[in-house]
Amino acid sequence: MNAKQSNWINRKFASRGMQSVVSATFGFVLLFIIFSIMSPSFRSMNNIQNLFRQIAPTLIIGIGQGYVLITGNIDLSIGSVVGMSCMTAGTLMNRGMNPVLACLITIILALVVGVLNGTLVAKVNLPSFIATLGTMTLARGLAQLVNNNHNTDFIGNTAQGFRDLLYYGNFLGIYSAVWLAIILWIFFNFLLSKTRTGRHIYAVGSNLDAARLSGVNSFRTILLTYIISAFCACLTGLTLLASAGMGTMDAGGTYEMYAVAACVIGGISTLGGSGILPGVIAGAGIWGILQNGLQFVGAPVALRNIIIGTIVILAVVLDIVTRTNSKKTRRLLKKQ
Amino acid sequence: MDEYIVRMENINKSFAGVMALQDAKFSLKSGEVMALLGENGAGKSTLMKILSGVYSRDSGSMSVFGEETGDLDTKKAQELGIAIIHQELNMCRHLTVAENIFLGREQNKGIVLNNKEMIQKTSDVLAALKVDLDPNTVVGELSVSKQQIVEIAKALSIHAKILIMDEPTSALSSKEIDDLFRIIGQLKAEGCGIVYISHRLEELGHIADRVTVLRDGQFVMEGDFKDFTMDQLIAKMVGRDITDKFPRVSCKKGKKIFEVKNLNAGHLVRNINLEISEGEIVGIAGLMGAGRTETTRAIFGIEPKESGEIILNGRTIQINKPFDAIKAGIVLVPEDRKKDGLCTKLSVSENLALPNLDWISGFTGKVNKKKEKELTDKSILNLNIKMPGAEVNAENLSGGNQQKVVIGKWLARDSKVVIFDEPTRGIDVGSKVEIYNLINTLKQNGVGVLIVSSELPEVMGISDRIIVMCDGRITGEIMQEDATEDKILAYATEFETKI
Repeated sequence: MNAKQSNWINRKFASRGMQSVVSATFGFVLLFIIFSIMSPSFRSMNNIQNLFRQIAPTLIIGIGQGYVLITGNIDLSIGSVVGMSCMTAGTLMNRGMNPVLACLITIILALVVGVLNGTLVAKVNLPSFIATLGTMTLARGLAQLVNNNHNTDFIGNTAQGFRDLLYYGNFLGIYSAVWLAIILWIFFNFLLSKTRTGRHIYAVGSNLDAARLSGVNSFRTILLTYIISAFCACLTGLTLLASAGMGTMDAGGTYEMYAVAACVIGGISTLGGSGILPGVIAGAGIWGILQNGLQFVGAPVALRNIIIGTIVILAVVLDIVTRTNSKKTRRLLKKQ
Repeated sequence: MDEYIVRMENINKSFAGVMALQDAKFSLKSGEVMALLGENGAGKSTLMKILSGVYSRDSGSMSVFGEETGDLDTKKAQELGIAIIHQELNMCRHLTVAENIFLGREQNKGIVLNNKEMIQKTSDVLAALKVDLDPNTVVGELSVSKQQIVEIAKALSIHAKILIMDEPTSALSSKEIDDLFRIIGQLKAEGCGIVYISHRLEELGHIADRVTVLRDGQFVMEGDFKDFTMDQLIAKMVGRDITDKFPRVSCKKGKKIFEVKNLNAGHLVRNINLEISEGEIVGIAGLMGAGRTETTRAIFGIEPKESGEIILNGRTIQINKPFDAIKAGIVLVPEDRKKDGLCTKLSVSENLALPNLDWISGFTGKVNKKKEKELTDKSILNLNIKMPGAEVNAENLSGGNQQKVVIGKWLARDSKVVIFDEPTRGIDVGSKVEIYNLINTLKQNGVGVLIVSSELPEVMGISDRIIVMCDGRITGEIMQEDATEDKILAYATEFETKI
């Protein structure tokens, strides 16, 4: 046996899913190289900046979904929350409201959905799949309601500053949406890996009863994850609003699935209890690079979807296979 | 000051209209081990869950350290110094040992977790227990017995003054039990009051000072443990005299029915050879991790076999999956009835019918309700399953009755070989005897029976022949007449002593 410390790192990362993060990162780099060879325009500075800007919304929404998945639940409503936020903020800005105030109101509205989700799941004890399926439809309805079942007009006339900041703005050659994703990730990664709250999130996902019996407030813990999830979805919606320049009712359509895919590729188990946030970066990265890269090498949309779907399934299968194998071998080694 | 650190009086508790506790009474002094006895469903666990704040009582008074407590929750109970080790293991398997031990009361440095300190404190507790365990091991990778030790360490780390242990030894080997008793002695000396719930009466003699007996949610008696004999205690628990703890029937041993030759499957099943005759009960003894369960699982086709031959009635048969075994007439009553034995969300009658659907349902696949009902009624009658009705979910039955359902599943088929893995784990004395009687009936009917058990008195009491395993291999075979605990243990530790 090695020294205790290195052992600790190995074990900790093995348990929380560091292996998948390493393999997903490797996959990202590999895809990057392949697309760079295949298409010169893919590797242009312009597209690389763009690529990261495309990854940002998936990463932001993936962070929230990651929190929920680690507790062993799922949040299907976030795609609709994206649309709802996009429409609410767009409508308010078009009516001439101060963009900052419009964003604040939008965030509060999204948090209400998060609280509703968390309450339904953790207090009313509905299965998260059902509860958030309901709020998914509900939030989409709200998205249609805010502007009388119409997409909003172009917001550039009333809130150009908002677009300038969140879409065109860049600092050190990195777009502000990417900065937003980075800041959110750093904060939420800290919360999850270094604080008591984070520990409770893993505990709830690993064994709800054990966590409760140890005095963990499972309601508050699960509620918090749904609030974070709705918050992240809301920010994704605002990012989309800035980039499109108008609120669209079906914005964020399948984003809940993007988020699940980013998490799963990055090693966050849908069964709860394991996975780390660096995985979401790698997962969202793979997701984005496939969308972007396949476009550059001329793959039609249908083919893109088929390839990406296949890769998600492979990622999960690979994860399960490597995990069970490594556990078995480790146990055998221990016995000998 | 009151010498009693816990007093509970007239405690009532009902679940959905069913009285679980009725005027129950309990007391505990500091520095003593109080054995809490009763059959399954007698209300022992419920009473202790009320004391530790998991449940709240309907009525009754409860005082801890002389002070009347209001309604407790788990956190308040912890702060009062009450710790409970639950019967079902309650560990987060994705978290490490240290993370589990400090779950719910993590130490912080500012707003950041102080992992270093928690790991250090965990090491200290483990060292005090004289257990060699890395605090950074992920709990899911530990064996059941090690997980149990983590539970104990967790209780100790909150400096509990009142420690409740609900069946702490059900998954421990005898060496680990000795360690546990040493720890209990240590805690007693420090003034800790310990409540000890166990179905293993033999082990209580070593540690218990006083005893409380509950029956059907009611207080039966309280007294000094040494004033009672085992038989008296059992009579108090079941409300009638049990004359024979290990009933035995003799019948003529028939021809050889089942044989395993050179079976290999993984590290814990090496070169297993065994044979069973009609009307013979063969017991497999050994310590935890000796490969007994793995052997039964390999025979039954759950784990893949590397090599080996399985011969039934003189014919070699291929068993690649459980269905092959069932079809051939070899069935397994697994170790963990909740996980492997029952579909807990299905009704009793659905559970009984599950492996028999092939003959219950007609050729269209439609389940013949009449046959299903016949099967259910017959099983319930033969096995004396006690329950509100055949349509209730299996999870609502007590452990003993659940086990009867698991056994009943297989008895409806004419099985030739029945393998039992820990058939009486966590089951009270009364139900145990009923299960032994069932096993004996099988024996009389000429079925070959293989029983894995960690309880030596049970293996010796019920088997005709005992096979002992150690480290995946068979190290000895003893006829029932010659069996002693020492002999079995010598075989069971054969490789350990040589090192």
